Formats: sequence, C-alpha cells, structure tokens
Amino acid sequence: MIRLDEVHKSFTVKDRKTRKPKRIDAVRGITLQVKPGEIYGLLGPNGAGKSTTLRMIASLMDPDAGRIEVCGLDTREKPEAVRACLGYLSTDMNVYGRFTPRELLRIFGEFQSVDPVVAERRGLHLLEKLDLADFADVKMEGFSSGQKQKVSIARALLHDPKVVIFDEPTTGLDVLTAKTVLDLLRIMRDEGRTVIVSTHVMPMVEEICDRVGIIFDGKLHGDAPPRDLLRSRNARSLDEVFFQLAAETEGGN
Amino acid sequence: MRGALLIAKKEFLELSKDRKTLFFVFVLPFLLYPAIFGMVAKMGKRDADQNRNKASRVYLVDPSGALTGLLKADPKHFELMPRPEGDVKQAIRDQKLELAVEVAPDAAEALQKQQTFTITATQDESEHTSELALKRFREALRPQEKAWIQNRLQVLNASPQLAEPVKLEVKNAADTALEVGKAMGRMLPYLLMIMMYSGSMQHGIYTTAGEKERHTLLSLMATRLPRNQIILGKLLYIFSMGVIAALLNLLSMALSIPSIAGGSGSQGALGAVAAIANPVTLGLTFLIMVPLGLFFANFILLLGVQAKNTIEAGSAITPGIFLVIFLGVFTMMPGVEKMSFLSYVPVVNVCLALRKLFSQQSNWLEYWVAFAMTVGLAGLMTFISTRLLNREKALFNA
Repeated sequence: MIRLDEVHKSFTVKDRKTRKPKRIDAVRGITLQVKPGEIYGLLGPNGAGKSTTLRMIASLMDPDAGRIEVCGLDTREKPEAVRACLGYLSTDMNVYGRFTPRELLRIFGEFQSVDPVVAERRGLHLLEKLDLADFADVKMEGFSSGQKQKVSIARALLHDPKVVIFDEPTTGLDVLTAKTVLDLLRIMRDEGRTVIVSTHVMPMVEEICDRVGIIFDGKLHGDAPPRDLLRSRNARSLDEVFFQLAAETEGGN
Repeated sequence: MRGALLIAKKEFLELSKDRKTLFFVFVLPFLLYPAIFGMVAKMGKRDADQNRNKASRVYLVDPSGALTGLLKADPKHFELMPRPEGDVKQAIRDQKLELAVEVAPDAAEALQKQQTFTITATQDESEHTSELALKRFREALRPQEKAWIQNRLQVLNASPQLAEPVKLEVKNAADTALEVGKAMGRMLPYLLMIMMYSGSMQHGIYTTAGEKERHTLLSLMATRLPRNQIILGKLLYIFSMGVIAALLNLLSMALSIPSIAGGSGSQGALGAVAAIANPVTLGLTFLIMVPLGLFFANFILLLGVQAKNTIEAGSAITPGIFLVIFLGVFTMMPGVEKMSFLSYVPVVNVCLALRKLFSQQSNWLEYWVAFAMTVGLAGLMTFISTRLLNREKALFNA
C-alpha cells in the first residue's frame, strides 16, 4: 500500500541570469493512494514532478510537508524499512559494468539481507523471465541499454518487494523487451503487489494501468481508471486527455 | 557497521575485476622501485668507480718546480696536462681539465728562505670530478707541507710538537642506526603522506563522483542500507586503499635497499635499517597512520561526493597533493623539530612525531598529543562527512 497525503517538495536553484536563488515547487499538495494488486500509472510532461514524487515514495528524498506511507511505514521516520519493502527502478540508474549480472545480484542480495542461496535462485529466475539467463556470467560493460535495464529490473525485484516503483521502465527499450517488462508488471499485480509506474507512453498506460494520475506543474489531476478518465473528459485516448489538461494548466497559469 | 563493510566489500570486489588497476596498485610498486633504485645505484657505482680509477687532469704552472715532482710521483691520481687553448677557467668548465694549479714563481726560493709562498687552485665546484681533483691535491700537499714544517723546526732546533699544539680526536656519538634513523625520520612521514593521499585519491574519485557520473549511486541508495553506512563503507574503502598503497610502496622501497646498499658498497645500511625497524617503532608508525589516513580519506570523500563528475572531483582533490607535499617538505627542513608550537598543528605534528620516533628522540607527550589530535580530527571529519553527504543536494547533484 502507498499513501500520499498533501505532499509538497520544492528545490532552490540559482537563476543564472539574475544570480539569485529561485524556488521551484516540484510537487504541490499531491494526495493519492495505491492499493495492493493495483498498477497505478503516473503521467506527466518532463519536469512535472513525477520522478520527485517517486523518489519521495522510495524514501530517497524527504517531503517538505505532508506525509507518505509505504507498507504502513512513514518514509521520513523509517526510510530503511520502507526501502526494504519496495523495489525502485529509474532511468537515472545504471549497472556496475565490471560485474556480471549474477555477481551484481549476489551483491545486492547481501545489501537487501536476502539469503545468498535464495538470492542466487531468485536472481536466475528473474533473469530467465527477462530472457537474460544466457548472459548471467558475462561482464555488463558491453551490454546494450535494454540488457542493462533488464538487469536493473532484476536487481529491483530481487528481494521480493511488496511495493514496486518503476520510473519510466520502458525508456530506450525495443518493442519486444518493453512487452516483457509490461508482462512482468502484470504478473506482479496478479501476485498482489502494489505497483506504481511513471511513463510517457500512453498506450502502455491504457493497456496495463488500473488507475491513472496525471501530474502537471507539481499537481495531480484526474486520479481515476483510464476508461473513467476518457469518459469524463469525452476523449478518445489518453493523449487527448493529456493535451486538454496541458491547455487547462497553461490557461490557469 | 554491517552495511559499511558490505559497501567496502563491493568496492574491493569491483576493484578486483579491473586487472589493469590491480597491476598498477599491487604489482607495479614491486617492479618499479627495485628497477629505479637498482638502476640509479648501478649508475652511481659505475660513475664512482670510474672517478676512483681515473687520474685527475691537472694543468700545473710551477716555474720553480717546487711541486712538480710531488704530482709527477703520483701518476695514479694526477695527469699533468699541457696548457689548454684559450682560457683555463673555460677549459675547466668544459671539463677538458679538472684542476689548474698555479704555484708562485719564487716558491723554491721562498722554501729555502723559510718564507710563505702562494698556490692558486682553480676548480669547478659544480663538478664532482673537479672537487675530487682538489681533494686529491690537498691530500697530496698535506704530508709535503708537514715535512716542510718539520724541516723548518729542525733548522730552528725546535721540537716537532711545536707545530702541533693539539691533536683532535673525533668520536661519533651516533651509531649507524641513528644516522639512518634520522634520515628516514625526515623522509618517511613525507613519503607516507604522499603515498597515502595519492594512493586513495583516484579510488576516492572513482567511488564517489565516478558513481554519480556512471549513475550507479542511486541503486545503492535505493537499498535498505542506511545512507551513513554507505558513506562509511566508501570511506573505509578509500582509507584502506591509501594505507595499502603506502605500505606496499614502503615495503617495495625497503626491498630495494639491498640494491642500493650493494650498488654503493655500503653493506652497513642493511643492518642499520634492520636496527631501526623494530616492532615498537613500526607499530607506533602504523598506529598514527590510521587516523592520518582517515583524515585524508574524509577530505577526498567530502570533495568527491559533492562534485558533479570525476573531472570536477579531480580538479578539487588533486591540489590537495601539493599541500601534502608542502607540509612534508616543510617538516623535513632542519630546525623545524625545535619549534614546539608545531606539535599542536594537525598533520605537521604527525610528521614531527614520526621524525622524532625514528631519531630516537621520542617525546611520548608529543606523540600522543599528535595521535589524539589526529584521531579527534579524523572523527570530526567523519561526522561532518556523514552529515554533509546525507544531504539530498550532495547525493542528487549530478
């Protein structure tokens, strides 16, 4: 279970032109809830606040205000325990090129306090699912971005997390690999895990997400199942909803 | 602490996968120092042998012949040369001659009249061979001069002891161990500091700013390991690499001593090194190295994690080595050990404590003050590092 209650986050950056510090409100009062056995799709343009929201859920960043609960734990109070129950993947992550996938999973199994035998078995199982078992003992230096992404997915799921947070998991992947990832997300939902995914790929959201939230300018709009969202907006696709919201946000500003 | 150890283990495992770096860190020092020292010692020995067996070329101007016989009688050490073309000084500078000796024209007459005559020797102080020629000339002249004095005293019917009112006997209070210890005490802290800093520098950059640049740091932070454990693990790795580099380089240098001793012919150097390398001295040296290494590792970690990429980290960390060199050279200077206030200056006091330790002048209070200050400083730096590096800005600043 993931629960966000009026979460705010801002950053201070230096304006190169005026040379003065400038406050950017990345997340402005987001409230949402994702239940076990549900895939929640978080949409939004670049810089809307998706990654910041996901990083806060993963207890990598603290919210300035509001409260986030993951697996019934407050992310600010018990960040390590929160990270123990979730698997996080983002496009900002890379693999250690000097290791083989098997070595990497063994090391991360130790980090996540997974029994080495279990880590080995589960790691290989995940690599098989991701069609990467043949490369389990090959150094990752020469891997393609798709192969690296698959290893990162295996790394994120190694400790059998109850909550899965994937930040743009299909970026840079070919159609076949992207389908493998989507199938894996469905399996995780069917296993009763709480899944939250951020993406730009609208058809993917329509295909697998049970509910969708669209972030614009740090605010969450339209937190509903995709079909309800289409119906309420009288739109034929999520792309259309997206453009409508973009126009509304610009008008509001 | 388990998390920190796991992170350090991961860093070492990563290092173990890089054969080239392993070679440069663990094998090269054992090849480089013996090769360099051996070559330098061999060249030095060959040069010394050549100089020892070669007669010095001397241009002698001695119209009265007072000294000609003396130099001619020793062809092993002196080869009398004809007047060079052009300027004599230039001939010495051009190494066509080693020495020019001009004896006053009235020398023979002055000797007979028991008067003083002048000898002018021209040499090139910047050239070892020229220095050697002058030394040989002085040694050849000394007994002759003594003989002339004795003759004069005999003529005067005076006691030969008249010319020698006192005999100075010099005894060396320092044994070889102390002499070598003093030399090592000057050099060792400098070498230790440079090796520890430079040994941990590249690994520090790789594991901090490098991880940010390669986008792998976030995957570590997404695990259940507490952030301060990740930072401590990296600190442990950087520190260990500094200490390993220093110890390996020193060990390699120690193993190169036979080639130096063999090359220079000073077999006593080996025994002297063995005499100062007692367990207490080495133990105390290692003990004080630990907080000093931690201090350096913290410095590197702090700058490394705050940097956006390896270039920025390298630019920030590399100048530190000049500071280390400066401090090292400063503490090698004579008289520094007498400045008592330096015992309270961090890093410098460690060098001075080690210098005194090897010079057999150990002042326990100074040693423990230096140790306690370095431990305190390293602890404070570790605290600051973990606090500063916990900040989101430092970790996501890539």
